[in-house]
Amino acid sequence: MKIIIKRIAAAIPVLFIVSIMVFLMLQLLPGDPATVILGQEATPEAVEAMREQLGLNQPLLIQYLHWLGNVLQGNLGQSLVDGTSVNDLIAERLPATLELAFGSFLVALLIALPCGILSAARPNTVIDHFCTFISLIGMSIPHFWLGMMCIILFAVELGILPASGYVPFFDDPVENLKTIILPVVATGFRESAVLTRMVRSSMLEVMQSDYIRTAKAKGLGERTILFGHALKNAMIPVITTSGIMLAGLLGGLVITETIFNIPGYGKLIIDSVFNRDFITVQSAILVSAVFVVVVNIAVDILYALVDPRIRLGKEGA
Amino acid sequence: MKTSWKKITSLLLPGILALGMLSAGCGGGKSSGSGGKTINIALHQDPPKLDPMMSTAFVDRMVFQSVFDKLVDLDSKGNIVPMLAEKWEISPDGKKYTFHLRKGVKFHDGTEFNAEAVKFNLERYKQKKSNRRNELKAVTAVKVIDPYTVELDLDVPYAPLLANLTDRAGMMCSPTAVKKDEDKFLNHPVGTGPYAFKERSKGNRIVLVKNKDYWKKDSPKADTLVYKIMTDGNVALVNLKSGQVDMINRFPLNEVKKSQNEQSFAVINEPSPGFKGIVLNTANEKFKDKRVRQAIDKALDRNAIVSVALSGVGTPAHSALSKSSWAYDEALDKAPAQDIEGAKKLLAEAGKAEGFSFTIQTDTDPISQQVCQVIQKQLKTINIDMQIQKMDFGTLLDRGKKGDFEAATISWSGRMDPDGNLYDWFHTGTSMNYMKYSNPAVDELLEKARGLTDQNQRKGMYQQIMAQLSEDEPYIFLYHDNNVFGLSKKIEGFVPNPDGMIRTVDMMKK
Repeated sequence: MKIIIKRIAAAIPVLFIVSIMVFLMLQLLPGDPATVILGQEATPEAVEAMREQLGLNQPLLIQYLHWLGNVLQGNLGQSLVDGTSVNDLIAERLPATLELAFGSFLVALLIALPCGILSAARPNTVIDHFCTFISLIGMSIPHFWLGMMCIILFAVELGILPASGYVPFFDDPVENLKTIILPVVATGFRESAVLTRMVRSSMLEVMQSDYIRTAKAKGLGERTILFGHALKNAMIPVITTSGIMLAGLLGGLVITETIFNIPGYGKLIIDSVFNRDFITVQSAILVSAVFVVVVNIAVDILYALVDPRIRLGKEGA
Repeated sequence: MKTSWKKITSLLLPGILALGMLSAGCGGGKSSGSGGKTINIALHQDPPKLDPMMSTAFVDRMVFQSVFDKLVDLDSKGNIVPMLAEKWEISPDGKKYTFHLRKGVKFHDGTEFNAEAVKFNLERYKQKKSNRRNELKAVTAVKVIDPYTVELDLDVPYAPLLANLTDRAGMMCSPTAVKKDEDKFLNHPVGTGPYAFKERSKGNRIVLVKNKDYWKKDSPKADTLVYKIMTDGNVALVNLKSGQVDMINRFPLNEVKKSQNEQSFAVINEPSPGFKGIVLNTANEKFKDKRVRQAIDKALDRNAIVSVALSGVGTPAHSALSKSSWAYDEALDKAPAQDIEGAKKLLAEAGKAEGFSFTIQTDTDPISQQVCQVIQKQLKTINIDMQIQKMDFGTLLDRGKKGDFEAATISWSGRMDPDGNLYDWFHTGTSMNYMKYSNPAVDELLEKARGLTDQNQRKGMYQQIMAQLSEDEPYIFLYHDNNVFGLSKKIEGFVPNPDGMIRTVDMMKK
């Protein structure tokens, strides 16, 4: 427990540095928010008035501290474009992306674990080659293309699933599953590819270790060896990869969101960058940095659960 | 722990499969017919501001057509027709407009529409922070004569006024709603239009419901109107094909030819009032000499540009006005044939026979890129080496306004009065004169033309202005793009309008 608190404490400077970097990088972006907001017809006076209203004429340090102060109080600020609270914007967009990310992650696990384990259990057989083939496809097919093909097949030709869009789960659970299934499968399939290879190689390595040979010599059944002895040891690198993958999914689903027209978190950030909505971008990136940190802490805890040899205490020292 | 993994997998797999089948099964039953009472329209962009006063984006105006009525409207031929004003008079000197308002009209929140409401709106649009200020600049006073008569006093005759009132400057917002919370209004618009705003989810959709008390009899025809935001044209198209949307507002150009014989939808392809082209910075050393600008104009083959970059969907152009305008002049707008020799000669006269190089700034839209690539090739023939620099539109606009560029692709969506396509672009020191162009003769004509009420006289002047612009070439007109809609055959009652807007009031779903 103490260690978890320690880890959380260590995360605070990381988030602080992220906040400064995001803030400064946005300042480097060419293009003035006031000009973008007011558009082509705006007169120079109107642009100046807008800059004043948005507080863009204040010194950078003041702007930064003002934003940070609000963030520390749980107020992520107001969108420069239309004054909506960024808290609301994020709350509106986050569920879709969380659902997408965890759904894709689940699909990836469901494909990768059986495929990887089977491959490792029967190396260089037809099954192994088949699984390798599947993950090769997953790695080489761009998932936006796969997404498009899925839409054309299931929505346009067969007409059994909607082509795109998103309905929140609590509005209509059935519609929600219908809209989410294609994007989740298309993204999950790609993510499964790397994971399958990871499971396979990690399993193979473990299968060649001494204790497995001992287990075999002892005459244990194959299933017991695979699932009881090998799998848990093989999971460590897989958990690491999964953690990185999940963190990546939480921030990087823009393409899936665009193809399937899902109003998600990635699109919020991209749209806000193009609108020069600095406050929204800053706050949204900070929130996703928090996610990455949380996922990493969760991964550390999982290590210990899966492999008691890894004591959280030791790591701290 | 021994069998836990097995257990988990064996439990999860059938579960997921069952879920998949369940949702697929339900899908088969439900997705085909959704009742016919909801019309879904795909928009290419999420409208940023649903307040006509604050709005600057083209796409806002699409939604406004359903939520707001205007004092006057445009018909499909471009004539100005009654809407909230049943009739109007203009004084002979053009400085007094009297509007007689429709009676018994109510805003969606129950507020009554009357002369006071008109006064409130027009005065609000004239405020400093309003983006409509320029369109109503000439209006000095709004007077309530009686509850249903309102008078606009102008300091100078200003002919584009009525045309401006067919657009955002003439849209009537509920004074009650605006006064209650002006900052919120742009996300909760309240008008008198055929559909009332219900809710929006940013980046996703905007839902409107039927205005049961609409003043036009038997309209609107649908119960619900949903604008779905689909930023990718191909995504919008598959949704049109699968029936999830009934209309899309930006049909992917390279699909137009293939879709001519579609069973389920039609492609509507109409010239827009806007123009696309290249801004040349006349304050820059490279483009100071008119002959250089003329040489670039001569070296271009506009037909090739349109057929390569737009798959032929667009109209090669040489002036600011397209066929949709009453001041259009076919001879002036006709794209001249490419003339390499003439261009070389002009360059030589300007002392640049060896050619030169410059950088064009353009946005990230694939079409702009392709246009630039074609131009790059064509200019090579007269030894001009054009570099292409991509940037997002915000940066492009910012640099354009600051004059920090040599050449740039900045275009205009167009306005119904010719003044709206010319004055703010080519008059000295105006907001969209990125070219830093200044010609006193043009300035004088622009000022004179907006003060006259006689359309024929104005037409002559605008044509004179455009002739001068083809001589001076501060802006290289390339083409007018087309408004290309995809419309499901289930929808009846849509009539294209020269302003390129989708008027939903009479649209009906079979």
